[in-house]
Amino acid sequence: MLQSNVPSGPLADKWTNRKNELLLVNPANRRKYTVLVVGTGLAGASAAAALGEQGYNVKSFCISDSPRRAHSIAAQGGINAAKNYTNDGDSVFRLFYDTIKGGDFRAREANVFRLAEISNLIIDHCVAQGIPFAREYGGLLANRSFGGAQVSRTFYARGQTGQQLLLGAYGALLRQAAAGRVTLLPRREMLDLIVADGRACGILARNLVTGALESYAGDAVLLCTGGYGNAYYLSTNAMNSNVTAAWRCYKRGAFFANPCFTQIHPTCIPVSGHYQSKLTLMSESLRNDGRVWVPKKPGDDRPPRLIPEDERDYYLERKYPSFGNLVPRDVASRNAKAVCDEGRGVGPTGRAVYLDFADAIARDGKAAIEKKYGNLFAMYEKITAQNPYETPMMIYPAIHYTMGGLWVDYNLMTTIPGLFALGEANFSDHGANRLGASALMQGLADGYFIIPYTLPDYLAQKGPGTVSTDHPAFKEAREKVEQDVGALLSIKGERTVDDIHRELGRIMWEYCGMSRNDEGLKTALEQIPKLREEFWQNVRVPGKAADFNQALEKAGRVADFLEFGELLAKDALARRESCGGHFNEAFQTEENEALRDDENFCHVAAWEYRGEGEEPGRHEEPLVFENVHLTQRSYK
Amino acid sequence: MSWVKDAFTTSVGKKLLMAVTGLGFLGFLAGHLAGNLTIYWGADAFVAYAEHLHSLEPLVKAAEAGLIVFLVVHAGTGLWLFAQNRAARGGRYARNKWAGGRTVFSATMPYTGVLILVFVAIHLATFKFAPEGENVWEVAAYVFSQPLCFWFYTLSMPVVALHVGHGLWSAVQTLGGNHPKYMPAVRVVSLAAAAVVILGFGLLPTAVSFLAEPIP
Amino acid sequence: MTGTMNLTLLVWRQAGTSDKGRLVSYEARDISPDMSFLEMLDVVNEGLTQKGEEPIAFDHDCREGICGMCGAVVNGRAHGAEKGTTLCQLHMRHFSDGDVIYIEPWRSRAFPVVKDLVVDRSALDRIFMAGGYISVNTGQAPEANTIPVPPEKAETAMDAAACIGCGACVAACPNASAMLFVCAKVSQLAILPQGRPEAARRVLAMIRKMDEEKFGNCGNERECEAECPKEISISHIARANREYIKAVLGSREK
Repeated sequence: MLQSNVPSGPLADKWTNRKNELLLVNPANRRKYTVLVVGTGLAGASAAAALGEQGYNVKSFCISDSPRRAHSIAAQGGINAAKNYTNDGDSVFRLFYDTIKGGDFRAREANVFRLAEISNLIIDHCVAQGIPFAREYGGLLANRSFGGAQVSRTFYARGQTGQQLLLGAYGALLRQAAAGRVTLLPRREMLDLIVADGRACGILARNLVTGALESYAGDAVLLCTGGYGNAYYLSTNAMNSNVTAAWRCYKRGAFFANPCFTQIHPTCIPVSGHYQSKLTLMSESLRNDGRVWVPKKPGDDRPPRLIPEDERDYYLERKYPSFGNLVPRDVASRNAKAVCDEGRGVGPTGRAVYLDFADAIARDGKAAIEKKYGNLFAMYEKITAQNPYETPMMIYPAIHYTMGGLWVDYNLMTTIPGLFALGEANFSDHGANRLGASALMQGLADGYFIIPYTLPDYLAQKGPGTVSTDHPAFKEAREKVEQDVGALLSIKGERTVDDIHRELGRIMWEYCGMSRNDEGLKTALEQIPKLREEFWQNVRVPGKAADFNQALEKAGRVADFLEFGELLAKDALARRESCGGHFNEAFQTEENEALRDDENFCHVAAWEYRGEGEEPGRHEEPLVFENVHLTQRSYK
Repeated sequence: MSWVKDAFTTSVGKKLLMAVTGLGFLGFLAGHLAGNLTIYWGADAFVAYAEHLHSLEPLVKAAEAGLIVFLVVHAGTGLWLFAQNRAARGGRYARNKWAGGRTVFSATMPYTGVLILVFVAIHLATFKFAPEGENVWEVAAYVFSQPLCFWFYTLSMPVVALHVGHGLWSAVQTLGGNHPKYMPAVRVVSLAAAAVVILGFGLLPTAVSFLAEPIP
Repeated sequence: MTGTMNLTLLVWRQAGTSDKGRLVSYEARDISPDMSFLEMLDVVNEGLTQKGEEPIAFDHDCREGICGMCGAVVNGRAHGAEKGTTLCQLHMRHFSDGDVIYIEPWRSRAFPVVKDLVVDRSALDRIFMAGGYISVNTGQAPEANTIPVPPEKAETAMDAAACIGCGACVAACPNASAMLFVCAKVSQLAILPQGRPEAARRVLAMIRKMDEEKFGNCGNERECEAECPKEISISHIARANREYIKAVLGSREK
């Protein structure tokens, strides 16, 4: 049975109560503990920095050449906090409520409340770090509004909020490195978790420059390795984002929660050809002024400006008169897919819809639009060579964020004692759908303000002293990884890794994408194992193991996606409801909205690995709502 | 005083030395040019200026000492930077293009610097250490009557101008004077100074040749 | 869209840091003008893999111009000739059928080549480590609005903070200097009131570290500014120079 370990007491007192009862480690004893932090995004860098500040001996791993490259850097919009600087009625409770409702009531109340509570501390800390947040004329912090909220609570640094927050955390991390409390280990990829005596006690990492397998022992392992959006091949994730570290932890006994909760972002630049390697997000804010439309007639390939007004279908405005173009991400995405499926999609591939600024430009003038969206328009033009001031933008949804992840309790510990998961790598705070500007908040909350309290409690109970890297568990893991690497290199088949990854992506997008049905999911469950088999028989991985070998890195990651994809589809099939990012066509309201089944599925599904070829076990953690009333979302 | 050494041997410290000494030379050039412009008033004015200068002997000596120190610092540091910069590249590009920042002024700084050093040596040899007894006008008239010398002096000035055209604004930038409001003007002034060098100094040999009595 | 094109690539291949390296010619066929430069390299690599040759190693990650991981000198220009663009955002429509394209790694003694187009930029991390932060421990911060920052200052700080640490400034600098990288951070933190307490210590430490890492000296050539994909101005170098003078003459820092 899953122990969520949520503290007792009223919602608002839970975190305080928990902090008061957690054990502490004496400052003089902290250096005796080694903490392995895998990943240097917002969660990983902030955790490593905060633990270094406390005096722990931290080892920080990342797959890039520098901790600063982690994909948190790409977040554009902002970070939420309940400061209520705009005097428009915000509060910790409202941020909590918006987040839990936005997540379609599939997150833990206590976790989300803690997140809202901590949000203000994050802003204080980041300002002190020198992050150049936008300011009002008087020099005080500016806020803007964002999807899913009726207050302005989003702090931002131009369109580069994620970058700025990450550089702040990176600076804090390097400060600890300079102080000798953090050891930086860049260009290292975690390939296995070492579990001995029922505890996580180390990792096996591949040195990506030399190809050597390196063993690291620690008192605890913090997994901060982000999400698994690249299972879909094309996503807004960075090319190197992957599920491998989390997946290997899963195979060592950590439960994987809600893998089917994936978020699709409606405003991405469409695919232009089969060579496409990734998708680029355009900020959601564009929908404030752009009007979404497609031609009424299928196959109408006239240039957009030649299609008269009465032959256009502004389908969002038509179907959702009160929210119009500002419906939530999932609703906008599904509708785009629907019109394209009807053959009314536009552009060379027919998988795009128009986002038209002509009316906004006529109303407010080009200058006003340029001031608001100039940088986005320039980015669009750079990629597509089309001028959005003159011709409508073309957009299409893409995989953007994954709410699912390793199951963690209230203290962020997975089902393996000593293994913690932070940020996007865990499942905890966003339920079935994440609101804009909340990912940065969660990553930093976990790293700066939660793990520095909850980890010492585990360490104090365990006591110092790591398992030696001579332990048989290290040897066993190393042999297994060596075997896998050797196998990949020796297949010498016909298909490249990317080619197979692309096919996996097609299956995932087609059958486990933004709109799912039982038949499709079953098809995916048939096709993925076949593709996996083909991969292990027919992939071609060039180069050597003991070398800088990017094809080999990719191959290992795709091999894991080929296993993970199946779990995602299983989870989607098992959840007999629609909620947030998981939309099963069989479960929808008359208004085509996600129809939850609170009776039977108001729970977290956590999957347990039971061995190669064995059916994974599905565990349920019931979600109890004592402070909010479960409602049906409506945006009519 | 080790902080002084520490402060001026870093890359920025060395650049500060270059900037301060460079601006010193520009000041000297301004003074030198102001004096030399008396040439346009003819032999008498020029000789009077030279004699007046000699009457300020102690000041001149002090200035000369200062210039020598500046020269040693500027040229020495410049060569040091040049050697360090070459070593820092680490391998050449098979293809290399300027992106729009670099100019013929900035790209030639080390080379124009060395040429100026050569010029200064010859200039001192011909004028400062000219034979006793003749007045400065006669020396000038004689020197510029030699075609080799005439062209050497005339053509050296564009070289100095190249150095000044980058050097002036570069010194301002190094000393931290970059401001969005004023920097464009500084760049214009820098180029104007280069033009003044060409026109002011560069035309002197011609002027002297014109105004001088034909040598018997 | 216009048709596809065929290109000749001259790519720097180098097996490892100690290998000598050389330019190798490859044909890139049927390249769509809508591809990004890295997608073009992906296509070439797919072909090489199919032929049993080793693909060209190059660093890349976000492919949207923000992570700073990618970069190569393309026909003599860092990140290619488009202004304000990283290599991943450079599109093939800026090339024409039949073009010969030189692709070389960043060249700097401080950036040893790891393999092919991949270089080791850890020197930039070490410079940052010397002082590219404000020393504030988690939990110490005062309420965020305690110190007002004029928006104009916040904006100028943000201009500098936009640095993605790609190293193009070093690659483009005729002297292989890292001044734009270093000074962008020094300037950002010097502008903000939160950064003032450590300003003197920071500028001295970071400049010294840069020298120690064997980067060249700034010659105010402005190539960095011209090539910076985030178009960071050299006015930040001037501000850092000012900070340096203040630190040397006006502070007790040594």
